[in-house]
Amino acid sequence: MERNQANLLQGTLDLLILTAIGDGEFHGLGIARRVEQITGGTFKVRPGSLFPALHRMEEAGWLNSFWGESENNRRARYYRRTREGERQLGIETEPWMIVSRAIASALKAN
Amino acid sequence: MGMGSRLTSALRTLLHKQRVESELDTEIRSYVDAIADEKIESGISPAEARRQALAECGGLEQVKEAVRDQSASTTVESVIQDIRYGLRQMRRNPAFTWTAVITLGLGIGATTAIFSAVYALLLRPLPYPGANRLMYVSQAWPKGSGMPMISPDFVAAQSALKSFQSLAGFVDMGDRNLTGTGDPVRVKVVQMTANFLPMLGIVPRPGRNFLNREDRAGGPAAVLLSHRLWESKFQGDPSVVGRAVTLDGKIQTVVGVLPAQFLFPDPAIEPDVYVPADLDPDTNLSRQKYILMVNATARLHDGVTAQQAHAELQAFAENRAKGYPATFGAFADGRRMVMEPLQRDLTGDDRRSLLLLLACVGAVLLTACANVANLQLARAISRRHETVVRGALGAGRRRLVRQFLVESLTLATLATAVGLGIALAATWLIRQAGMPGEFAGTSQMAQLIRTPFGKLSAAVQVDGGVLLFASGLALLTTVLFGLAPAISGSRTDLRTALQGTGLRMSSGHEQRLLRHGLLIAEIGLGVVLLAAACLLIRSFANVLHDDSGFDARQSLTGVVQLQRNTPSATVKGFVDQLLPRLQAIPGVRTAAVTSALPLDKMFFCPNTMLAFGEGPLPPPLERPGGCAIGTSPDYFHAAGTLVLRGRAFNDRDNAASVPVAIVNQAFARLYFKGDVLGKRFRTNILAKNHDREFTDRTIVGIVRDVRYNSLEDNVQPVIYLPVDQVPLPRVNLLLRSDVEPTSLASAMRRAVTATDAEQPLFDVETMEERVADAVAPRRLVMLLTACFAMLAVVLSGVGVYGVFAYSVSQRTQEMGIRLALGASRAQVVRLVSMQALRLILAGSALGVGAACLLSKCLSSMLVGVTGRDPVSLSAAWALMTVIALLASMIPAAQAARTDLISVLHSE
Repeated sequence: MERNQANLLQGTLDLLILTAIGDGEFHGLGIARRVEQITGGTFKVRPGSLFPALHRMEEAGWLNSFWGESENNRRARYYRRTREGERQLGIETEPWMIVSRAIASALKAN
Repeated sequence: MGMGSRLTSALRTLLHKQRVESELDTEIRSYVDAIADEKIESGISPAEARRQALAECGGLEQVKEAVRDQSASTTVESVIQDIRYGLRQMRRNPAFTWTAVITLGLGIGATTAIFSAVYALLLRPLPYPGANRLMYVSQAWPKGSGMPMISPDFVAAQSALKSFQSLAGFVDMGDRNLTGTGDPVRVKVVQMTANFLPMLGIVPRPGRNFLNREDRAGGPAAVLLSHRLWESKFQGDPSVVGRAVTLDGKIQTVVGVLPAQFLFPDPAIEPDVYVPADLDPDTNLSRQKYILMVNATARLHDGVTAQQAHAELQAFAENRAKGYPATFGAFADGRRMVMEPLQRDLTGDDRRSLLLLLACVGAVLLTACANVANLQLARAISRRHETVVRGALGAGRRRLVRQFLVESLTLATLATAVGLGIALAATWLIRQAGMPGEFAGTSQMAQLIRTPFGKLSAAVQVDGGVLLFASGLALLTTVLFGLAPAISGSRTDLRTALQGTGLRMSSGHEQRLLRHGLLIAEIGLGVVLLAAACLLIRSFANVLHDDSGFDARQSLTGVVQLQRNTPSATVKGFVDQLLPRLQAIPGVRTAAVTSALPLDKMFFCPNTMLAFGEGPLPPPLERPGGCAIGTSPDYFHAAGTLVLRGRAFNDRDNAASVPVAIVNQAFARLYFKGDVLGKRFRTNILAKNHDREFTDRTIVGIVRDVRYNSLEDNVQPVIYLPVDQVPLPRVNLLLRSDVEPTSLASAMRRAVTATDAEQPLFDVETMEERVADAVAPRRLVMLLTACFAMLAVVLSGVGVYGVFAYSVSQRTQEMGIRLALGASRAQVVRLVSMQALRLILAGSALGVGAACLLSKCLSSMLVGVTGRDPVSLSAAWALMTVIALLASMIPAAQAARTDLISVLHSE
């Protein structure tokens, strides 16, 4: 499934990251793992897409970050969802559901 | 929100670039390390674990690059990069850059300065509230116009006309002497009605306006002072209100001071002192009555249109004429009332020259824009290779377009800065020149630019809107022509473009048409401007060449204004004492006095009524007129005016002798058809009563026509009278000297003071200065037009050079092949210049045609030439053609020098 990642729509990745973070605080690797986990291993986010997305979303104000200690006592950057991010998630979820339901039913009808 | 936070973050990134970079590094490293740690825990060797982690990650640098790429700061940074790149391109190509920047800058600057002047002088509302409702009322006849209302009509109209909220007026009283406050000074005095200032919305401070009962005949002697006089003469002392001043011997009380920014609504007059109009409330017209000429200004009632008001005014005048006594019948015959916006009346003659200059700078700006457009088109095509290569190396189309956009913007910004500088300097000069003070008097430059802009020029400022418009046009041009090739360039198929540039194929048909069209338009504009300049230069030469009738060299003039009602005997006594003193000044060859000097700024000519032959006098309005000038015996010698026949005056022509006169050629031609010596006529000069006191005079000489009022107007019939027989209160001094005339000024002043310490001497200047003043406006308009025309021609020359230099550079290979196949170098030169000649001929033909069409606009400013003057048109055509051809010869010669070997090598 990894090959599909190039085609992963930007909005989808944002949606996945916002959902994955939830109300918690995660560093990069944590977020990547969580995305993999909640999608049942379908999506593996590689750092080449993950970090640009994180930085872009932080610039947009959907996430904010702080430096902390990782499990292995390394300095790591943690991300947290902002209220703006929560709102964004709300905005983007609805159309996505419509599209995915539509496509699913279209494929089933075939 | 998103935009704002992106911007802040971009700013932060740019400001703390180092820290942001190191944090990014740490973040990604810790990610890799974490994966490696996991792998080590699962038993892989540390080195292998790290290698695998890095591989999974896809490379540290690649990830960092991906993060940087989509950061907002990258956009900002790349724009800065574009600007830097653009500036570097411009530095690398200084010829293009300077040509473009200076061309556009001149266009923007000149347009902004001239248009700001036009706006301030012609278009901007007058500085009075509701100025668009203000009208100027005058009378016109089939033969002439612009005559003020006569006072009985005015007084009747004040109460009769319903279209006007108020009808106010002023009467020009000319120069008077103000005494009793230190040195005597000459002041300009106007009478005005009490409602004049309220109509304009002006309130005197300190003090008060005239009261309603003060502006009727026999009213109290009140005066208002101009702010200027108040400051200079009374040191701005507010207690001046209530103080008494003496005006022409009459004691009057100061009641108020006008505000500093008050602008008197007549550019020809700048009053120092205002007195109430002494209008007779009796509106009947009669021969015996003292009639004033009232400059009437009115404010329309709200809701009344100008047409309605004019209709009422005309009906009123026709009605009034029915009540005129029979002797005034001819006066009302064919009379029309004229009502025009005060603004138009105010700007008057300046209008045409300003509009002409505006048209010129407009043409220059257009030429500049066309030029820059051409330069950019040529440059963009020569940069097509660069564009294509950059595209091939991965620059996106947006990025390419943006880069051209940024370059155009940078260019336009530089040009606007240059233009703003020029506009600021020019308007500063105009303002300085309009201001009374040291600068205006001394600087040659100020003298040069002063006159045509009048006194409103103090209000000329760089107009933001105009600057915006001019630089907007420049921006539009640069962006449009900078961008078009970028868009088409970035759309071009890489392979064909690279091949095309390699083969140096000539540019596309459409672009060539566009560039040639621009060039033809430029040349046409150049011809039009040149034709206008030639016509004005020829007119100027005609004005100077037309015989003035006097010798302006080596002579000094000055003016003493005695009080209006000075008895003749006193004037005579003053002159009799003054003349020997003037004659005694070392260096003076001849001293004379006269009631009028040539080229007097305010030529005062008592339009004396004449009668010829015996028998009863004709009715007043049918009597012929002439201009009477009283002179001392040596005047003609001092002025250098030739006595053609008969004699000049001498000391025996005194009050006791037979009344005599000398006339000019115009007089002799008009009234006697040639020889007039010994002929007689009757005049009523100095007569208080129009019918009586006509005296017989014998003509003893004819002198050359002298241009008294201006160098351009027709010479009026003039009668010279001996100053002893007709002493007039305006005494002009004229010295013909053997030495530098200006060195006599203080001696002249001493002679006047020694004669009468109460009399100020003013307007001391050489006759040559008078001539220079008289032609100053025309000279300035001519010079400016010529400058603009030269500018346009040079710009067109640059345009021709640019277009053909480019086309030759594109055709190097073709030229090489032609040479290789046996064409001579002369043939190659001919090939290029024939192509240029076709465009030049088309452009100049267009220009000559346009100049013919537009010549009507200029005709009112021409003297001695018609608008379609073949000499001027062909001179303009020839000059433009020669310059354009020369400009095209440079690239043609380059083409002929094409080095065959290197062309073949480069393939």
